Amino acid sequence: MSLTAGSRPDGTRPPAAVEEPTAAVGAAVAKARVPRKTSKVSKAGKVPFRVRLRRDRALILMTLPVILLLLLFNYVPLLGNVVAFQDYDPYISSNGVTAIFHSPWVGVEQFSRMVDDPLFWGAAKNTVLLFALQLVLFFPIPIALALLINSVIRPRVRAVAQAIMYLPHFFSWVLVVTVFQQIFGGAGIIAQTLEDHGWTGFDLMTNASLFKYLVTAQAVWKDAGWGIIVFLAALAAVSTDLYEAAAMDGAGRWRRMWHVTLPALRPVIALLLVLRVGDALSVGFEQFLLQRDAVGVGASEVLDTYVWNMGIQNGDFSYAAAVGLVKGAIGICLVLGANKFAHLLGEQGVYQK
Amino acid sequence: MTPNAASASSGPSRRSFLASTAVATAAVAGGMPLLAACGGSDSGEREGTTSGKAADKLLPAFVASTVANPDLPSKNGSASGYTGKVDLAALKTSVPEKLGTGAPIKIMSPFWGSPPKAGCAYYKALDAAAGTKITWQNQDGNTYGQKLGAVLASSSIPDMVVVPSWELVGKISNAVTAKFMDLGPYLAGDKVKKYPNLAAIPSDAWRMGIFGGALRGIPMPAATANWIAPLYRKDVFDKKGYSVPKSADEFMSWAKEATSAKAKVWACGDMTWSAWSFFGVRGSGSIGWDIGSDGKLTYRIEQPEYLEALEWVRKLYDAGVVHPDDKARSGDPGQRFTAGQTLVWCTNIADWYGKVSEQAQSNPDLVIDAMDLFGADGGNPKLYASSPATIWSLIRKGASKTTVENALAAADFSAAPYGTKERMLVDYGVEGTHYTVKDGVPVKNDLGNSEVLNAWVMLAAPAAYYAHPDFPEVARKQVEWQQRMGAFMKKTSTFGMNIVEPTRWANLSSQFEQLEIDYVRGNRKLSDVQAAISTWKSSGGDKLRDWYKELIDKNGSAN
Repeated sequence: MSLTAGSRPDGTRPPAAVEEPTAAVGAAVAKARVPRKTSKVSKAGKVPFRVRLRRDRALILMTLPVILLLLLFNYVPLLGNVVAFQDYDPYISSNGVTAIFHSPWVGVEQFSRMVDDPLFWGAAKNTVLLFALQLVLFFPIPIALALLINSVIRPRVRAVAQAIMYLPHFFSWVLVVTVFQQIFGGAGIIAQTLEDHGWTGFDLMTNASLFKYLVTAQAVWKDAGWGIIVFLAALAAVSTDLYEAAAMDGAGRWRRMWHVTLPALRPVIALLLVLRVGDALSVGFEQFLLQRDAVGVGASEVLDTYVWNMGIQNGDFSYAAAVGLVKGAIGICLVLGANKFAHLLGEQGVYQK
Repeated sequence: MTPNAASASSGPSRRSFLASTAVATAAVAGGMPLLAACGGSDSGEREGTTSGKAADKLLPAFVASTVANPDLPSKNGSASGYTGKVDLAALKTSVPEKLGTGAPIKIMSPFWGSPPKAGCAYYKALDAAAGTKITWQNQDGNTYGQKLGAVLASSSIPDMVVVPSWELVGKISNAVTAKFMDLGPYLAGDKVKKYPNLAAIPSDAWRMGIFGGALRGIPMPAATANWIAPLYRKDVFDKKGYSVPKSADEFMSWAKEATSAKAKVWACGDMTWSAWSFFGVRGSGSIGWDIGSDGKLTYRIEQPEYLEALEWVRKLYDAGVVHPDDKARSGDPGQRFTAGQTLVWCTNIADWYGKVSEQAQSNPDLVIDAMDLFGADGGNPKLYASSPATIWSLIRKGASKTTVENALAAADFSAAPYGTKERMLVDYGVEGTHYTVKDGVPVKNDLGNSEVLNAWVMLAAPAAYYAHPDFPEVARKQVEWQQRMGAFMKKTSTFGMNIVEPTRWANLSSQFEQLEIDYVRGNRKLSDVQAAISTWKSSGGDKLRDWYKELIDKNGSAN
């Protein structure tokens, strides 16, 4: 992973820093690091594990609590996925965990149920469609907004514009859906205005065929502004020298954007794209649950609501676990695939080998 | 984005609808005719039911309460009504001595709203009066099922747990039998007389507390003549000169006349729940099974009226007479009703009082009445009795004798009948601290409004009644409506039996509620509903029918 790859050379720093007088840290470390690293690597090929353990013990100690938490809350619960191969009844024994040992094993029955369930395929189809739509209609918007904000020079205007764009992110989905209902619903502002001018029957909120676009629009309104933060950070890192040099060479506004700004954003865009693709099967949850009844299950069911409905609402934990497991497996394949693709394009991606 | 957060806020679902009901009625009306009420079984087995003589042996003796006689006694399965004022000095005592010993007990209960702090004045006063020491584990009522499912699957179940029937989905109904104790040794026969208010709970309600061949649940009794009422804006009807519709066709033509999108007025909200009554469709869950005059046992979705009712509601949507926000299931239908955006609102009849008292100051012209349920063809309606109890409190298996006795003491206290000091304390708190009485009408102050809600009223209740000292006419009309409608009431073969269906079919019917929602709004085709019904039959419905047939043969039909 990029994190460990990056920190390993740095790992030589703590002993060096301890040895050096603190006053000279900056320059001395920078100078000392390069030869030390190369000499060690060239001698042994690899630092022995025990040496590294002793050398990094402070760092290891510091990460230990987090790793324990990660194990406890992320990895131990993974074991519970075995219920996907059972007909799990959490009440069969004195508690839910021991119930796993008492529930009957059914092999892949839950998975074949899933394959046979048209509702599952409907949810899967909606999920993929929505992902594609979000990728095309949502993903580029924060980039465009970041470029726009970046081109605003006056700090006051910039701050106000940013604040306005961030704000919807902090609204809950209930509120977002309600606001949309009040504007685009059959009794909303637009419908009422049209009614006053003799046009009847406007109701965007219960139109199942436009639902895909509606939810994407809601997502854009709510989260596009928030999404620009990371791009703005990347833009802030671009040296103004580059712009000045480009301007000196006679590059206009557009050429500067094309040859300076966008290349600077490329690694971030690639990274976010990989992450987004890995998360492709999670297109949203609350948003769909809240509008499920307005447009019907056919248009609004996505994998997450399907799992929730089966598992939490119907108490069919085994089946929900099976669907969740499949979703997770597909997600891993997508991350790996997208990352590979990023490498092929010469980008760093999420991690490196 | 946790599922919890979402469902807590998801629009007016059946669950939140019922929740609002539970709050509005403060344990009085209960009776939710539409939900899957299951539970019960034959001895030793988790599934099935116990009824008839076998059940009678398990029940507590009935000793009617004579503390305060209602002005309107129960008739035709209605609740009773009290139309007098409150006179604190005249209140009787129903629990002469403290039954609790002060041993600490933990109670988990659904809570709608924000729970007060532990040790608040209300809890302290109640504990002092009942001799109990309760630690409340209040959980959000809208997501209670999820909490309940998790708690039942843990090894630390609270001493007493309130379980609403609509949370008995999937495998939870079986868990109730496995995890909660048989209260027979404490309550059966004459033993109940130690707890006079529990003894006054009608036997029909107690019968619903039998799970797995033993009396496990302390019931919250409900009127059986309890249907979703089509409340209408009588003030608007009078002003516009509308006459109240008396058939499905009349309703449709009235609705078209009354709707004016331009004026922001729509005839009604979602009418599905009342349509069941207009067309004579039975409730869902075990109460939806009935042996017809042809001797055939059918479930509600197999009734021809089921599709007729849905088609009629769909026509209302297609005609554009339903408020668009109801179509989108967004916002608060009750608010649209009081704002005059809709003129008919199908809801629990308890909301009648809730809205009248809420609007009394700001909207004094508002007049609400309940439409009489009509037969779709204009004749008498065919109505089915709803369950005599739909909420129970249960005590965990393995609780000590002291714990059980304290829990029962608390339940006995909250089952105090109207007109007693105990009832007043449970419903209003401490006089001066939580409420004051003005002209015979108790009014809660801010502290009362924040502390005196849910919790105690969920433990048990006396037989259903309506009493609104500030609007006695509403109480009278509520009872009279139930009595008028109750005259057309008929019991299904499974009435009054607490039936636990085998878990293999637990989710067989779970898709229908969503299907109904989608069909009437035009998001599914009639053929989808028909296909779902035939899938239901082939994937277990027919076997479930055989199972019910055997159960009814063994226990005897209730009608």
